[in-house]
Amino acid sequence: MLISVKNEKCTGCRLCILACPEPNVICFNPKKKIVNIDPDGCKVCRLCIETCPEEAIESTDVAI
Amino acid sequence: MKKNIATISPGFEDIMPEEYQDLVNDGPYGRGLGIKNLGTFKELIEEHPLCAGCGLALAIRLTAASLPAPEDTIIVGTTGCNSILMPQLAIHNIHSLFGNQSSLAAGLKRALKLRYPDKNKDVVVMAGDGGIADIGLSPTLHTWLRRENLTTIMLDNESYSNTGGQESGMSCEGAVLNMAPTGKKFPKIPMPEIAKDSGCAYVATVSVANARRLGRMVKRAILVAREIGPTYLQIFVPCPTNYKFSTSETLKRAKEREKIMEYISSEAEKLIKEANI
Repeated sequence: MLISVKNEKCTGCRLCILACPEPNVICFNPKKKIVNIDPDGCKVCRLCIETCPEEAIESTDVAI
Repeated sequence: MKKNIATISPGFEDIMPEEYQDLVNDGPYGRGLGIKNLGTFKELIEEHPLCAGCGLALAIRLTAASLPAPEDTIIVGTTGCNSILMPQLAIHNIHSLFGNQSSLAAGLKRALKLRYPDKNKDVVVMAGDGGIADIGLSPTLHTWLRRENLTTIMLDNESYSNTGGQESGMSCEGAVLNMAPTGKKFPKIPMPEIAKDSGCAYVATVSVANARRLGRMVKRAILVAREIGPTYLQIFVPCPTNYKFSTSETLKRAKEREKIMEYISSEAEKLIKEANI
């Protein structure tokens, strides 16, 4: 499972950053005004998906 | 800790770990950052081994980001889920005997007042509900009764989560847990009321779902503890592992059961107004 941001839908409201229990995983890009998710630190709790008002964060199954 | 203490010695730049270099170059020390800046600087927690969707981990993350002066703060913790995160927190922290955190913090604060009379050194007791309301209730109460300048932050997950899910004094009546299969027989301990009656100048309760308010309350609690007397902040942090709900529901549950309460003594109110926080 991989959590990723749909850049075209992200408005940069940063609510996901305040919902993520993991530090330094969701970072804000001030130039593009969107967030990036670091997949290495993500534990896939899906709190960011529940919090995002724009449905801009999605989870995808990844074959290992 | 001042930033110049954390600065890398010349010649060692290449061999220091990348995370350490990030913390020195992009950390929050001395920059007056807060919750609104999260995501734009290197946070004080590197990573942690707590469960996915842990409300307690989020509360510590938000609290660490809200500290008015992380370089001059010392966190005193005790056994519990929080204690397995603390060693990875780039703030001075002490792990005390179970329940002894308030006594240790009181002594530390007095020593720091003598050693650094012109500096604000914030001593923050951060522990779970078991550490503060059950096992450490007596030292906690006595620091409040003695009007020690301490901030006490309780991370209330309503169980002993680190040891498999026993009921704690802060669990709700009827709560069924792994190690409390018949349900809890008595109601939740009214810690905010006890704190208020024991002389705390600032008492507040909030949940982890309300990040900005939590940040403001942490700042107020620390400021009042510096100048006036003991303060108490209780943060409700639902535990998906022991209460057996989906990790994505942590914030929903926190919101549903959130009780926001803020008691500010008249003296503290004046101070908060002056500081405009």
